[in-house]
Formats: sequence, C-alpha cells, structure tokens
Amino acid sequence: MNLSYTEEQIMLREQIQKFCETEYDFYKREEVVKSDNDFDENAWKLFAEQGWLSMSFSEESGGFGFGPIELSILFEEFGKTLVIEPYLANVVLAGSVLDKSNFSRKVELIEGISSGSMHVSLAYAEVAKSNEYLTPSTNLSVENKLNGTKSLVLNGKNASKLIVSCIKNNEFHLVLVDPSAEGVSFNSFKTIDEQTCAEFTFENVNIDGEDVIAYGEEASNILIEALNLATLCVSAEAVGCMLSCYQKTVQYTKEREQFDQPISNFQVLQHRMVDMFIDSELAKSLLFKAMLEVDSNSENKYKHVSALKSHVGKYGKLSAQNAVQLHGGMGVSEEMMIGHYLKKMVAVDAMFGNADFHLKNIG
Amino acid sequence: MDINFSKEDLAFRDELRDWLANDYPKHVKDKMDKGEHLTRQDLVDYHKALSAKGWMGYNWPVEYGGTGWSATQLYLFNKEFGMAGCPPLLAFGVSMVAPVIWTFGNEEQKKRFLPDILDFNTWWCQGYSEPGSGSDLASLKTKAVREGDHYVVNGSKTWTTLAQNADWIFLLVRTDSSGKKQEGISFLLVDMKTPGIEVKPIITIDGDHEVNSVFFTDVKVPVENLVGEEGKGWTYAKFLLAHERFGIAAIGASMRALGQLKEIVSELDNPDLDKKVAEMEIAISALEMTELRLLSDLENGGHPGAESSILKIKGTEIQQGLTELFVEAAGEYALMYPGAGGYGSNDKPSGPEHAAVSLERFLNFRKTSIYGGSNEIQKNIISKFVLGV
Repeated sequence: MNLSYTEEQIMLREQIQKFCETEYDFYKREEVVKSDNDFDENAWKLFAEQGWLSMSFSEESGGFGFGPIELSILFEEFGKTLVIEPYLANVVLAGSVLDKSNFSRKVELIEGISSGSMHVSLAYAEVAKSNEYLTPSTNLSVENKLNGTKSLVLNGKNASKLIVSCIKNNEFHLVLVDPSAEGVSFNSFKTIDEQTCAEFTFENVNIDGEDVIAYGEEASNILIEALNLATLCVSAEAVGCMLSCYQKTVQYTKEREQFDQPISNFQVLQHRMVDMFIDSELAKSLLFKAMLEVDSNSENKYKHVSALKSHVGKYGKLSAQNAVQLHGGMGVSEEMMIGHYLKKMVAVDAMFGNADFHLKNIG
Repeated sequence: MDINFSKEDLAFRDELRDWLANDYPKHVKDKMDKGEHLTRQDLVDYHKALSAKGWMGYNWPVEYGGTGWSATQLYLFNKEFGMAGCPPLLAFGVSMVAPVIWTFGNEEQKKRFLPDILDFNTWWCQGYSEPGSGSDLASLKTKAVREGDHYVVNGSKTWTTLAQNADWIFLLVRTDSSGKKQEGISFLLVDMKTPGIEVKPIITIDGDHEVNSVFFTDVKVPVENLVGEEGKGWTYAKFLLAHERFGIAAIGASMRALGQLKEIVSELDNPDLDKKVAEMEIAISALEMTELRLLSDLENGGHPGAESSILKIKGTEIQQGLTELFVEAAGEYALMYPGAGGYGSNDKPSGPEHAAVSLERFLNFRKTSIYGGSNEIQKNIISKFVLGV
C-alpha cells in the first residue's frame, strides 16, 4: 500500500498552485465575475497551453489519459482559490461524455475543448426531473425533431455546441445540438458561486441523424459515468474549500485581537477550529477512497463517490458556516473571500444530488 | 398554572389582528409577502402607520407617550406582527436610544428627541462597533475631544445598519484614555448632516447594502448632545444592549417561516426533509415555551437575567436553521442566485418560486449569530451568570 501522490501528480499540483497564487487571486476573480463572459479568456488559454484542458482525455482523443486522481488534484486546488473558469462544464461533463462515446466527430470536438477554442455544455437536467437523469421529458421524434426544456446548463451561454439528453422511441439518447440552430432559445442565469447556467428550450429543432452521440444503454452508461466523475470533481473542490476555510480561520483568529489577546486563545474557538480541521481531514480521506475506486473502475465507485459527496455536503457547509461565524462581520462581507466559500459549498451541495440524496446510495 | 391568556390579553390580540388586517400599509405588506426589498419610504410609511395608531412606543412607559404594555402584551405584539410577516421594527430609535434618553438624558434632551422618535420623524442608527472593537466593544477608539462648547470627534464605526438612511446616530466615543478601558467612554447624539461624516457602503454576501462604515473627521458635536455624564457611557451602552434583547427570539417570524416551509415541503415527497422540518417545529415550540416561562416569571415579579441569552442563541439558530431548510427544499435550483432583490422583471428560471428569496435569506441570516453580542459571547454570559463558572 502507498497512499502518496506520484512525482508527476505532485508537480501537477504545484503547477496549478502556482497559477492560482500568481494569476488568480481574489481581486482577479472579482474582475472575472464582473466581466461579460464570466470566464477569463487568458486564463483559459493558459489552461490549454498547460495541457489542463486535455489531460483527462484518452490518448486516442489527443489527451494524456490522466484519470480521476489528477482531476481531483486540480479541483481541490480550484476549490482553495475559488477558481470559476468553466472547467467542469467543458472538460468533465461534456468532454468525458464525448471521450467515452464512439461518436464519429468526437476527436474534432475534443480538440476544440482541449485547445480552448470551443465551449461545449452538457444539458442533462430538467426542472421536474430532479436527480432522475435517465428519463428526461425532452423528446426526439421519429422525424428527428427535438422538443423540450433543459435547465441548469452550466456555462450554457458560452457554448457553441450542446450535448442534450432526450428520449427517442423509448430509448435514451445523447445528441449534439447547435445552439444557433432554428428553434433553440435560452436564458442565462447567475449561480450562487458566481458561475453561470442557462435554461434552453428546444422547439422542433432539426437534429441530423449523424448528430446522435450515443443511444440506449451505451448512452445511459456514458451519462452516469460523466455525472459520477463530475460529482467526484465538485466534491474535491469542496475538500479544497474545507481546507482553506479552516486554515484561513486559524490565521484570522491568530491575528484578530479582542479583550487584549488574539481570539485564538479562546478554547471554544480552538475546539471549533479543531472540528473544522478533523472534518476536512475526513473529507480528504473519503476523497482518496472515492478517487481510487473511480480510478480502478471498481463496482463500488458510485457508492464511494456518494459517501464523499454526502460528507462534504453536510460538513463542508458546516465548516464554511463556522468560518463565517469566526470571522464575525468580516465573514459576511462580500469583499472578503471567506463568505464566498460558503456560497461555493451551497452550490456543491445543490449539484448532482445533495447530502441526503447521496446518503441513500450507501449500504 | 394556567397556560391560557387572560380575556384582556385575548381582546388585545384581536386588536392587533384587526390592525394587521385593516391598517397595515398595503404596499408594504405586498412587498413583504413577495420577499421584495423595502425602500426607505416604505419603512417610513410602515412606522408612521404604527405611530398613528399609538403603538410606536410599544415598549415605552405611558409618561413619554408610550403604550405601557405588559410583558405579555409585548410578547403578543411581537408574535402577531411576526406571524403576519411584518418588517421587524427598526430598533435603533424607539428601543435603543430612547430608553437611554429617558433614563439618563436631561429634560431638554427628552423634549428634543423623544417626540420625533415616537412619530418616526427621525431615523436613528447605532454607532457602536469599530473595526478593532466588536465583541470587545469597550476597547473602542473613536475619540471625542472637548473644545469649548463642543466635542471634536475623530474615528470610525462599522457594521452600521442602514446608516445610509439615518438622520441621527448615537455614538460611543472615548473621552478619556487614562484609566480602565470601560471608563472614559461617553455617549453622544450626532446629527448625520454634520460636516466631516462620511458613510461608505459594505456589501454583504447576499449582495445587499444594509450595513456601512461611518467615518468621522473633525466632526463638531455640541456639548448639549452628550447624554448623562462624560465617562459614564459604558453604563448606558450596557443598559441599551439589555433592551436590544427584547423580541430577539423572533418566535412569530419563525412560526410564519415554518408554515411556509411546511407548505413547500408537503409537495416534495422528501422524508429526510420532513424529519428536519418536524425537528424544527419542536425547537420552535420549546423556545416559545421558554420565552413564555421567562415572561410569566417577569410578570410575577421575578428578574430573569442571563437566561434571556437562551432566546438569542436558540432564536438565531432556529432562524438560520429554517433558512437552511428552505435552501434544501430548493434542491438543485439552489444553484441559481440572482443577487439581492431577486429577478425583478427579468426572465425567471424554472424551478421553485421561493429559491431566490430562500438563498438571499440564507446568506443574509448568517449575521444573526454574529450581531447583538455573538452567540459565543451569549454563551459566556450564561456560563458566568447562570452556571456561575
């Protein structure tokens, strides 16, 4: 047994850390939030140059064939600095669906994602179908007309291609849709963690037979795998948040003086921070378990991702709430980073099933 | 023992309900019911409507134009107004500075300030916390130096709620640094229009502008605006904070929220959430009964002291817990947040109607366990004065 990261993995983490520290501080993030794109073109270019946009794709798709461990490293670091680039939408959700498929044009699309020149979003969620992703109401008729509404499409407004889940002839399908095609309309909304998601409506949109990415069991397996991987990634992001929450809180309480001493002298705060530390270590342990199970493609991989997601959903939010509380008024100030961890934790718990939902997958 | 209210109390409750049904300004009610933001004018209209009814001085003695209500009546007032979804009364004038003025101020100050508070002609804000002085309020540094017939004030205050709307601020200042930090603090009343005062917004994580920093540069305050004696401000400050406790349990508002939550949850078929809502209902019931027990004790001549900190701790835990359950009830749609004030007339996403308001409350209510003496400080108070350790 060896639970250490490889040298390459450590180097990857250092690379990402360097980027986060030098090019993506909180002020930079604020600029990105206020920009029209809601992502940073230059950062995205840099991600492509560093190979971060292609690293998780298979070698035949032009990637490095990196797995869930490398993705978890990246997301953990993103969580620490609250990076809001549309990585999850492009690489993890849309990208892994394409990569796992036998779609004829997948290499071209994955190259587009990898080079940063193309944004692709996965439209898998619907309003009345909470967490039931394999039985969408969106329908593809025998004449290949697409009708329906998809919500919570991450980064949808920047997408030049969409992957849409739908039912045709009682069979689950994943089809490629051009958002500029006739009959497609959308609204974009802000997410609580300062990203964007869109709601798309399809009205008699013509789908070319060649734009079916996958169907039947193959399509449902691909989607479930992609969502499981995405759940792992946002959970890794939450682990990063939890680590930062406890570290920043410890640092703040050492600096903040009240009653003629640093407030870190007070035992009640010490114990609270110890709990935050323990919960973040346990989260890290569950992350190790989950990413290793996914990496080895074991039959327990879904269960262990659920265990992780449930833990970070509950304790991540608790840690962030404690961090806010211990920062006092500073914790609720928009211009301080600490309150944004809480928003991220709310977003993580909301996505792909919350803590209670994943608890049901255990046992 | 008798858990029922007296006939008189029930008649009083009916009078409250009658006002809420007929005289609660409609435009304010509409906005509150929809979770929309109130403007300054809305809040003025609401308070003036209460003044017109003679209820603005709800916790004042009759002598100064107040209602002279009993503790039970005060409780009913709070609960009925909370359950009706009314905005909480702005405490700064009517229940913070006013009791200080009538208890420690001179006749001239009583005449000058109290009637305008009662009629809501002046909007007050609270100049207590400073960047370096939160829980340890007595360490405050804003300085007032006596020069002839006025004080010159320099320094800054923070987390000043709705200072952007305020006409006056009551201020704790340091007039002497030579002794213990609790000594040498004085209590000043300052016109916000005085030259040298600058209000800067602080935006909170819900995206709203509710609190501010207030900066004082060579602000001249006439000596007649000093309340009581120079150097006795700490006594007055503590007296004021004791008054702030009243109604902090927010039972009525929490009961209303619980009712709304139950309606939402009843459509969800989510047993986990059902269980959490049931637990919340028990917590609210326990807290309400605790408040009633304290009240009964008070009316029977008792002096409940630090026990009232239970109301602050549990009251705010319940308020926050409720907002968390609303967010859970929004499910995946808790992901979308348009910022303070909701979507307005813009396109709204699908998903639960309540999601945006629920997220706003969730983020906004983080403050409740921090302000008014943080819950950690409240627990210190209980351990010192109740447990005696």
